[in-house]
Amino acid sequence: MDVLSANANVSRVPFFRFLNFEIRSLDSLHAEAEMTFDDRLIGNPVMEYYHGGIIASFMEATAAIAVHPDFADVPVKPINLTVDYLRPGVKGPLYARAKLTRKGKRMASVSVITWQTDREKAVAEGLYHFLLV
Amino acid sequence: MSDITKRKMEQIAQMWNARGKGLIKHMALQIEEVSTEGVRVRMPFNPEFCVDADQTRLHGGILTALLDSVFGLANFVAIEGVSTIATLDLRVDYLRPARSRADVIVRAHCFRETRHIAFNSGNVWFEGHEAAEIARGTASFALTRGNTSLFDAMTKGKAS
Repeated sequence: MDVLSANANVSRVPFFRFLNFEIRSLDSLHAEAEMTFDDRLIGNPVMEYYHGGIIASFMEATAAIAVHPDFADVPVKPINLTVDYLRPGVKGPLYARAKLTRKGKRMASVSVITWQTDREKAVAEGLYHFLLV
Repeated sequence: MSDITKRKMEQIAQMWNARGKGLIKHMALQIEEVSTEGVRVRMPFNPEFCVDADQTRLHGGILTALLDSVFGLANFVAIEGVSTIATLDLRVDYLRPARSRADVIVRAHCFRETRHIAFNSGNVWFEGHEAAEIARGTASFALTRGNTSLFDAMTKGKAS
């Protein structure tokens, strides 16, 4: 699936429209996306940091797309997630890259990393499991 | 909630209900119970948080965000003299598909607090279906303590 049709799928999901992100690249093992900062995504109103739950949601969305780019027709079933918060997500775009570590018949394991200006300085890292049956 | 001073309750209400911006305001969270034993919060159904076009199924991510927010509240209530609270890590299990248009209820508490770290756990269900939990989460938080109280920063800081 190409990036254009994957983004058309993204725009059909109400919660993805709320998060306001776009897929930037896609191959059989990876998905990369960019989220635009907005006031409604703030967790700490004093410092204007992204909400931790929003960062986790954005990573989950990117992970699900890496598993099934055609998710609009084939819904993935998230089982659980673990997120390690490494740095505050400040005002500005947030990037996520999901890597399909393992996709079996029943289960998929996906690791995701998010960053802002420097790929080497991760904002958060996450591990997501999905049920495929 | 006799163990919480009236002043602190007022602070909590002010902090949560009078927020100018941010996700917590957007989720329209309502505090139902508050004590040092834990907190209970309601999130009204919001079609924006759904994954399907029919808008009957919530995205797991919003439940994760809800848990993270309510953990913050539970910590604020349970821990004295905190100046900042930052999520260190978060683990969420999605126990059932979140298919309903009912309000979502979260109960969370801080089960252990040290000088630097707070440990929390929480449960999520649709109103009226407490026996059928839809998600469960645990998280740890890094605390900094000091004279600048979190409340003062939240209410008198530049975000006002």
